Amino acid sequence: MTRLKIITFVGILIPLCTQAADQIPVIGDERAVTQHIALSELERLAPEQIIAQGKLLFNAKFTALDGAGRPASTSAEIPVKKRVDLTPAMFRTSGPDSNACVGCHNQPGSGGAGEFVVNVFASSGVVNVDFDTLEPQFSNERGTPHLHGSGLVELLAREMSADLQEIRRAAVASARSQQQRISVKLITKGVDFGELSVNPDGFIDIAKIQGVDHDLIIRPFSQKGVFTSLRQFSINAMNAHHGIQSNERWGKQWTNSDDFDEDNFTAEISSGDLTAISLYQATLPTPVQKFAEHPLLQEAAAQGEQLFRQAACNQCHIQTLPLTSLSFAEPGPYNAAGNLRQTDVAAVYRYQIDSQGLDRDQQGNWLVPIFSDLKRHVIADVHKPHFANERLSQRFIAIDEFMSAKLWGVGSTAPYGHRGDVSTLMEVIMHHGGEAQGAREKFEAFSDLQRRKVVEFLKSLQLTQG
Amino acid sequence: MKILKLLSFCTALLTSVSCLGITSPNMHEETLTSGISHQYKGGWEYFVGGGVAVFDCNDDQYPELFFAAGVGRATLYLNNSELGQALRFNKKVQSELSVTAVTGAYPLDIDGDGIMDLAVLRVGENILFKGLGNCQFENANRLWGFDGGSAWTTAFAATWEGDNQLPSLAFGNYVDRDLPGAPFGTCHNSDFYRPDKKGQYRHNTPLIPGYCALSMLFTDWNRSGTPSLRIANDRQYYRGGHEQLWKIPETNPPLQYSAEEGWRKQKIWGMGIASTDLNRDGKPDYYITSMADNKLSTLQTQDGSPRFKDIALERGVTAHRPFIGNSVLPSTGWHAQFDDVNNDSYTDLYVVKGNVEEMSDFAQLDPNNLFLGTPQGRFIESAERSAMLSFKRGRGGSLVDLNLDGLLDVVVVNRKDDAQLWRNLGAGRALSPAPMGNWLALKIQQAGGNRNAIGAFIEVRIADRTQSKEITVGGGHGGDKAVWHHFGIGVAERAIARVQWPDGQWSPWIRLFANQHARIRRDQSTADTWLPFARAKTTQN
Repeated sequence: MTRLKIITFVGILIPLCTQAADQIPVIGDERAVTQHIALSELERLAPEQIIAQGKLLFNAKFTALDGAGRPASTSAEIPVKKRVDLTPAMFRTSGPDSNACVGCHNQPGSGGAGEFVVNVFASSGVVNVDFDTLEPQFSNERGTPHLHGSGLVELLAREMSADLQEIRRAAVASARSQQQRISVKLITKGVDFGELSVNPDGFIDIAKIQGVDHDLIIRPFSQKGVFTSLRQFSINAMNAHHGIQSNERWGKQWTNSDDFDEDNFTAEISSGDLTAISLYQATLPTPVQKFAEHPLLQEAAAQGEQLFRQAACNQCHIQTLPLTSLSFAEPGPYNAAGNLRQTDVAAVYRYQIDSQGLDRDQQGNWLVPIFSDLKRHVIADVHKPHFANERLSQRFIAIDEFMSAKLWGVGSTAPYGHRGDVSTLMEVIMHHGGEAQGAREKFEAFSDLQRRKVVEFLKSLQLTQG
Repeated sequence: MKILKLLSFCTALLTSVSCLGITSPNMHEETLTSGISHQYKGGWEYFVGGGVAVFDCNDDQYPELFFAAGVGRATLYLNNSELGQALRFNKKVQSELSVTAVTGAYPLDIDGDGIMDLAVLRVGENILFKGLGNCQFENANRLWGFDGGSAWTTAFAATWEGDNQLPSLAFGNYVDRDLPGAPFGTCHNSDFYRPDKKGQYRHNTPLIPGYCALSMLFTDWNRSGTPSLRIANDRQYYRGGHEQLWKIPETNPPLQYSAEEGWRKQKIWGMGIASTDLNRDGKPDYYITSMADNKLSTLQTQDGSPRFKDIALERGVTAHRPFIGNSVLPSTGWHAQFDDVNNDSYTDLYVVKGNVEEMSDFAQLDPNNLFLGTPQGRFIESAERSAMLSFKRGRGGSLVDLNLDGLLDVVVVNRKDDAQLWRNLGAGRALSPAPMGNWLALKIQQAGGNRNAIGAFIEVRIADRTQSKEITVGGGHGGDKAVWHHFGIGVAERAIARVQWPDGQWSPWIRLFANQHARIRRDQSTADTWLPFARAKTTQN
């Protein structure tokens, strides 16, 4: 049967600034996204227009007419064809499992978190690709985190990656020039990522690197800490959850096909669109601390913050990390092939992230109230096994290891834990094991009222609607 | 409409070709500025040969180039490039390696001391040069008890048998000029050398019959654990000859596979051998260059018998005549090499071509082929798109990362013309090279004499695909490289790799992140990473 390839983007060359009133509407148009941004148009559009497009994309309930669905390919982040095609077009477990980003990221609003009912089932997309079971040997069930403040998160990670790689570069240079083995600590923004040793011949012993991948790129996204950038996360998620495939990953350059998922739609999301949706997430409001109205609770929260520190929770959930620059470059500097890279474009798009809600330190750094060290830790042990409840290692990371949760906004994003299966903050604290054993024991040693005060403090860390 | 739409997606990308299909790398010819000025020349004996050996001799990991020169003096060029920058070389003026009558050279660490040695093939006495470090060499024929003979040698391969500290060596010889009636029907025997217990090569076993070998390779074609010797032979001069595959029983003399065992007596102008696993069955496939149709052989059987079928046509790599111009005359292929020049994770194939001399029945303008591999298995010719058309009389060559930026550059040796170098700019331009797909560069090491694990297989896995490469010494035409093992991994940000060591043992799967140099050692379950120097070491001339 000859099948007509459907052109996804009829209006692609029309700049957004001229779109609304002038265009003749299409009767019965069921596309969720009727206009797309070419990468070349970014500089001609106002940032607000780009972010508006990003929001439109984020909130869009993609339809088959947008290219949603991937009948012939899998959720894998690397192009992988299905070998059989027996599953429905939409499928709650192996995906595509949602119509819109906002379908899950919706509490308290677009870009927010999701409750247990919108958990996802993350798998490699390489084996057992059509899994139809919730058994943990087939997928890792994960809750939906909020994305507020994500621009700041990515900027912190970029600066930390740059620091770590510079430490490595300098160590290699020293080892070579001094012709002796050199060991250096990997510390950035006060976070200790272990050490590496360099031999005079330039070979680097990576055995003592801790909490970061061996290429020394901080990957701040996902609960495992395995995605480098909002762009990479978005490309993966668009495919896995919606069956919307970007040419940056599934295009002809890599697959020799312009319709890898064989849904009869080509170029399902443009690079301009991906910049827009990345920017939308990057500019979601920074979480705030918002106290309850009752003075009793306000005082409790303030004391809870002291107790949070006293229990050394802040060793990993570091209250603020210093950020040098708010200039958000898209694409970012650490994207690998398969995601637009800075070397792929004539000009990098730059946007200044809003500093609202950020204090500054004496050196002029912006203090990002992230409550995380952006480092992975072992968080479970034989006595506290709950957080080791997955069975699949994700991207080389052991099942008991997760990135320190970013606690900003935690008061707005119940339920808790990477699976979203813990309903209270008290419980989630008590599940901490592994490297967090000491902090948990200190917390356990608190009086009941003291523990409640810590919880009251955490409840004050909230998302806003912006 | 569709074209318009695609173009609109591509307008802001520097890599416009990326939107038109599998991406060709942008190659920038830097022959004139590279510091290399070299020709392979001479009379009839040098119609064949003309190889280049690629290896690091000053411990900076930037590869040096040692060129055969025919009647001239073979020359070592020291790499003086900067990381990711223009290719720069300095001629090493004072060198033991500057000998005449060289047809080719193969780098290998014969004595396992961590310093590359060289087997130099000549019209006359072959020489084993021992590397002394800092790009100094000494003639080690006496040290290793090696009689270089006086034949016209045009092929070489090496393998480590069993626990031997030293490799077994095969020298492929061409026409025996001293026999009556030469050159027709007077092919010379090739020679097989096993080290004795004293670490000497005092005895050689002639490989009879010889059929004018132009390339040879020890390779474990059926993954039996014991490599065989594949020889590409030139039908121009043999009578009753054919392509050969020799069994190499560990303690017995080599023995040809016979037709009864399944070996087909294919007659071609066998010039060069390239190998890789194209069909992902874990077993190497072989590209054999020839005049006219080149062959791509894949194993047909599962029972261990050596029956191969030719899949060159279905894969689009017969390369039987020039892909550009009006000539309908057949091509003449020489060096061939599989590697991934655009790092898209699908191996590519480079074929160096050129008329023997003035053979009027064959194309005079015979450009080298750059075939890009595709996910569908066929190859796409891309030399012109990559700006590396060359109509010189090519012979040897190499795809190798000369400036350690993760992109394979190209060197070609030409007969009676200048050797050429192209810098791989990836998706960029000369002043702003840009990466293509992700990549890995691996060094594989073990203890003992066979330090670089010759005979091992490396497997690199991304998603549902595994790339497999055998580590060999030999093949090509007149030369080989002994540098990082390069793998393009496309859009994969990480990969796992394992090694089947020469004794058959497997390493664990080892985790690797993209775009790094890494060393896998037999006693480790993690890989050491390595960062390149900002520029190559300066070595005294």
